Amino acid sequence: MLQPIEGSAAVAKAVALCRPQVVAAYPITPQTHIVEGIARLIADDDLRCELISVESEFSAISAILGAAAAGSRAYTASSAQGILLMTEVLHNVAGLRIPLVMTCANRAIGAPVSAWNDQQDSMVMRDTGWIQLYCADNQEAVDTTIHAFRIAERTELPVMVCMDGYILTHTLEVIDLPTQEQADAFLPPYHFARTLDPRKPLTIGTLVTPDFYTEARYANHRALIRAQEEILAADRDWEKISGRSCGRLLSVNGPYDADVAVLSIGSVMGTLSDAREQHPELGPVKLIKLRSMRPFPIDELKRACERVSELIVLERALSPGGGGIIGPEVRAVLSELHSPPRIHNFAAGLGGRDIPLEIYPKLIEAARAHEVTRFAIIDVDIDKLAVEDR
Amino acid sequence: MDSPRSNSHTVAELHHKQPAFRGLEAGHLACSGCGQALGARLVTEAIGPDVIIANATGCLEVFTSAWPRSSWRVPWIHSLFENAPAVASGIEAALKAQGRATKVVALGGDGGTFDIGLQSLSGMLERNHNVLYICFDNEAYMNTGVHRSSSTPHAAMTMTSPSGKMRMGKRHLKKDLLAIIGAHQIPYAATATVAYPSDLRAKVRRGIEIEGAAFLLVHSPCPLGWGHDGALSIEVARLAVETGIFPILEMERGNVVTAMKIRDVRPVVDYLRPQERFHHLFDDSPEARDELEHLQQLADHNIERYRLTASQPEAHDSEGVDTVGRGGMRWS
Amino acid sequence: MPTLTRGSFAHGATSLSLKTGDWRLQRPQHRHKAAPCATECPAGENPQAYIAKVAEDDLRGAWETLVAANPLPAITGRVCHHPCERGCNRGSFDQPIAIHNLERFLGDRAIDERWNYPINTPSPDAPQVAVVGAGPAGLSAAYHLIRRGFWVTLFDAEPEPGGLLRSALPPYRLPREVLNREVERLLAVGIVFKPTHRIGRDISIDELRADFPGVFLAPGTSRAREWTIDGVVPSDLRTGLDLLREWNSIGALPEYNRVAIIGGGNTAIDLARVMRFMGVEEVHLITFQRLPGPGVRPKDAMSATPREIAQALEEGVKIHEARGVRRLIMRGDTVVGVEVVHMKELDHHGRREPVAFEGTETILKVDQVIPAIGQQLDAATFGRALTLPGVFVGGDARMAGGTVSGAIGDGRRAAIAIQNYLEGLPEDVAVPLRSIAFNELNVNYFEHAPRVQAPLLAVEQRCADAEIEGALSQGTIVGEARRCFSCGKCMSCDNCWTLCPDNSVLKTERTEDGWQYVFDYDHCKGCGICAHECPVGFIDMVNEP
Repeated sequence: MLQPIEGSAAVAKAVALCRPQVVAAYPITPQTHIVEGIARLIADDDLRCELISVESEFSAISAILGAAAAGSRAYTASSAQGILLMTEVLHNVAGLRIPLVMTCANRAIGAPVSAWNDQQDSMVMRDTGWIQLYCADNQEAVDTTIHAFRIAERTELPVMVCMDGYILTHTLEVIDLPTQEQADAFLPPYHFARTLDPRKPLTIGTLVTPDFYTEARYANHRALIRAQEEILAADRDWEKISGRSCGRLLSVNGPYDADVAVLSIGSVMGTLSDAREQHPELGPVKLIKLRSMRPFPIDELKRACERVSELIVLERALSPGGGGIIGPEVRAVLSELHSPPRIHNFAAGLGGRDIPLEIYPKLIEAARAHEVTRFAIIDVDIDKLAVEDR
Repeated sequence: MDSPRSNSHTVAELHHKQPAFRGLEAGHLACSGCGQALGARLVTEAIGPDVIIANATGCLEVFTSAWPRSSWRVPWIHSLFENAPAVASGIEAALKAQGRATKVVALGGDGGTFDIGLQSLSGMLERNHNVLYICFDNEAYMNTGVHRSSSTPHAAMTMTSPSGKMRMGKRHLKKDLLAIIGAHQIPYAATATVAYPSDLRAKVRRGIEIEGAAFLLVHSPCPLGWGHDGALSIEVARLAVETGIFPILEMERGNVVTAMKIRDVRPVVDYLRPQERFHHLFDDSPEARDELEHLQQLADHNIERYRLTASQPEAHDSEGVDTVGRGGMRWS
Repeated sequence: MPTLTRGSFAHGATSLSLKTGDWRLQRPQHRHKAAPCATECPAGENPQAYIAKVAEDDLRGAWETLVAANPLPAITGRVCHHPCERGCNRGSFDQPIAIHNLERFLGDRAIDERWNYPINTPSPDAPQVAVVGAGPAGLSAAYHLIRRGFWVTLFDAEPEPGGLLRSALPPYRLPREVLNREVERLLAVGIVFKPTHRIGRDISIDELRADFPGVFLAPGTSRAREWTIDGVVPSDLRTGLDLLREWNSIGALPEYNRVAIIGGGNTAIDLARVMRFMGVEEVHLITFQRLPGPGVRPKDAMSATPREIAQALEEGVKIHEARGVRRLIMRGDTVVGVEVVHMKELDHHGRREPVAFEGTETILKVDQVIPAIGQQLDAATFGRALTLPGVFVGGDARMAGGTVSGAIGDGRRAAIAIQNYLEGLPEDVAVPLRSIAFNELNVNYFEHAPRVQAPLLAVEQRCADAEIEGALSQGTIVGEARRCFSCGKCMSCDNCWTLCPDNSVLKTERTEDGWQYVFDYDHCKGCGICAHECPVGFIDMVNEP
């Protein structure tokens, strides 16, 4: 049913539709409205769920690890510092192959302190073994959240649903909220094969020697790669029920024969789409929306870039001392093409800086320049730097 | 003269026929004479099979769960060092949501409880989850190789608090964890020791019955880390109680309600002497003598503060509580 | 090769497949050690074993265990000097177990309930053995021979069996009724009793040897030791044992006012007390030995039973310890006094001899002096027989000044020796058992508790005909039995089973006397906690082979 609703509130409702039995959370801006929404649903008996207000994010993810291992569907949400505090546990959950869903309301990481959006927090967690799916708008946030529970439970891998903090979480959008029947048709009751149960006692969380650790790591890696099938299946099956797709692992929008493309992720896709409309004079440009960061959609990316000669990768994160994060991964994949495009990697919008429509012409201009921009923070203002740091 | 052969069962079969539930089985990798292994075995015995355990990183976790072997007969999960209480909280919430009555127990060493896991424990207690937390206190990070924790007693030697020209072992005092636990006003908290297994088991059963959070601190000698023969683990633990160094208390909502009286108080040196970790206190130097006096004062302070002496013998004092009788528990 | 599991989980209790027993340098072993009460008992009883049964309320079982060694517990429970109690390890903790009270209780219960010995009669064609002397040694030998499958003919010079038990022990120490019932039960197992058969008069040793393949001589020491002081022997001299026998027989004593009895053994004490009960005004007992007590070595102490000495003192017997009689003061043929001198047993050239110290003399006015210094074997009748094949000797005849329990022990050992002789087996070489010392126990697991005290008649109520020490109730007796440490023998306290960190002490079916634990040597790491915490010292740590 269509209704205007704040992004966080919509996600809270989406979570509730999936019937979690345990939610544990620690407050951090800009995730708070999601958890407040869940709390209100519980208080009004619209959701039967144990909400544990824990004393840190480390305990939040640990508590739902325990809950999921004990046979209950479980959920949490966090941002930035909280996500980082969870680092050790995120690896732990993935290694133990426990199905969990967490919303990352993307926010910049301190120092310096910032409460505003970028995607550094989830990007630095790309090696934890979690599935990472990014949402371009609040409708996708709702739908991807519902996908996420099913994907997690079928793959026995935890899923991080990333949505830009403030930009998505705190904005009103007209959302088609699914019904409980739709959700129930899509998502069966929680079942975990290794549930902690005195009737069948198992020992979870063992020490593994060098003889077998490699195989354990390999199993996780392979599971993530194969999870692509479940991510695709979830999108297809939910599309049949709701009529909506979130764009599979990656989606392309634009003229078939355009040889310039801009690849990005998250809410900035909306800005890019509007800007492209306003600048037809800049020529045909494909917009590639990356949805699944982990597993990285290698085949889809190669197909999308077959005819592309200039590719701009725009991201809201970076690897200090290295360059971009998505950029180098794209470069590595596309190097396998027969004639890979020139790839220009830009970071922008860090710490909540607005990405205006005007960025689009700048990107296209850079793509047409003689030199390839291996990496640049396109909206940095050198004049603002401390004298000693120039 | 050899032990009797069991006529109708092999030893392997007997492991499955014991008249007490052996939640921790043989074949684990603990050191010979490990107090913590004994403590964990006694604890699972008192709880029975209907339990889910969340275990913090530490000796107990490592020596019982080296894949592919596990010593646990109960469902058991190890996540990380600092989050056992949080994991237990989640398990408890899940069981509540599912309407299952299985008890949740969290286990940790002193490192994981006094230090790195203190926050997680505090949260669990504050929210009064229906979980029994048991800390096996061997007074250092033993798993990493005998490193000082906030539970290490004053003047004890560890690899990160060695004695030498400038130092007499650990400078700081042993953290009074029970006071911290007491401040959380939970329904039940207690200290116990592997030297008095009946008392320990009774307290575990009490903790299991409590609706809400309960906490047990179990003194568990470490022959390797404390520097004594494995055969003396029980004796050393007993001396800790008889000298007043480790008081055996029960606390309800922050108030000490019972204290095990010491029938014949022993001087602190009786406890210190058998342990290599206090060896440097016996070199007769002025500093060593001062430390011995300090430790005696700390023991005396415990005795005074918790009123650990009585004018006459009691059934559950330090002598009465471990009195044996002919017959024990009959095999059936 | 194992394959990984999803998330690397492990199945429960799979650690049993790892044999941590390989780590071991030492292993625990169950080793039964003798309790000191058993090694001290001259009769060869194992008090720890029957006390264990009393502790479990199995009185019948306890008595049957007891009579496997000693057939006369109602007697020894009253008259034995109980070295078991002196050796009892509980004595180093608080007070020794009142073993003699336990033994007496069982003996009396057996009499009341008319229990029979749990033994079979010999087969009809079993060999016959002759036993001479129906005192404690002979009675014991006869009993043990029947137990071992031999028929016995028992001879005694007196009309009634019992030997010194009947003739020398006053009723206040051993009631006639008790003596009769115990001996009656014993003779009823199939012993042929021939009273008033004196060897040398009614039957000879050679005749015995001709009629019986084995002969046991336990005739006692019927001859008094020669005794003179300075060559003087009073005309009305009577020996202590002689007087006691006479009194036991006719109930009267010669008229004495003030008497000096020489000697420190049970005969001296018994006579002294009988005299006090009979109204003799002053009874002095003079002995070069010491009153038993702390600081007095057993070999220096009077050989009489300590509780008898204590009661004698209560009853007004005056004991002059570390003294001897140097000279008799005579008026004509009668004694009017004795010269008492300090005396002590000293080592002289490897022999112990009493030595008098000149210059320490005092005079004690008495109207009679009675030596109670021991007896000796009638060598004339029996001397030659001692070296004949098939002839065995025991009791006082073997070692003068022996004890009732020692005699009973002799009888048992004689029966074994005779069996070996008749069946052509080699002699039993007794391996002396080391008893377990107090410091090998772990007494942290016991609580102090006082020893029972049987009620004693007040001094003014005592007389020669009635028992002075009363009986105890069953509850009290069982409670006392439960004070027993069970030295060296498992009492199934469950300590080892409870305290093993490696689950390597396992319970099995109860096998015997509470021994119901096995070690899992596949997993035992040899830490030694079980051995150290065993309260009774039943587990030893031995090096791995």
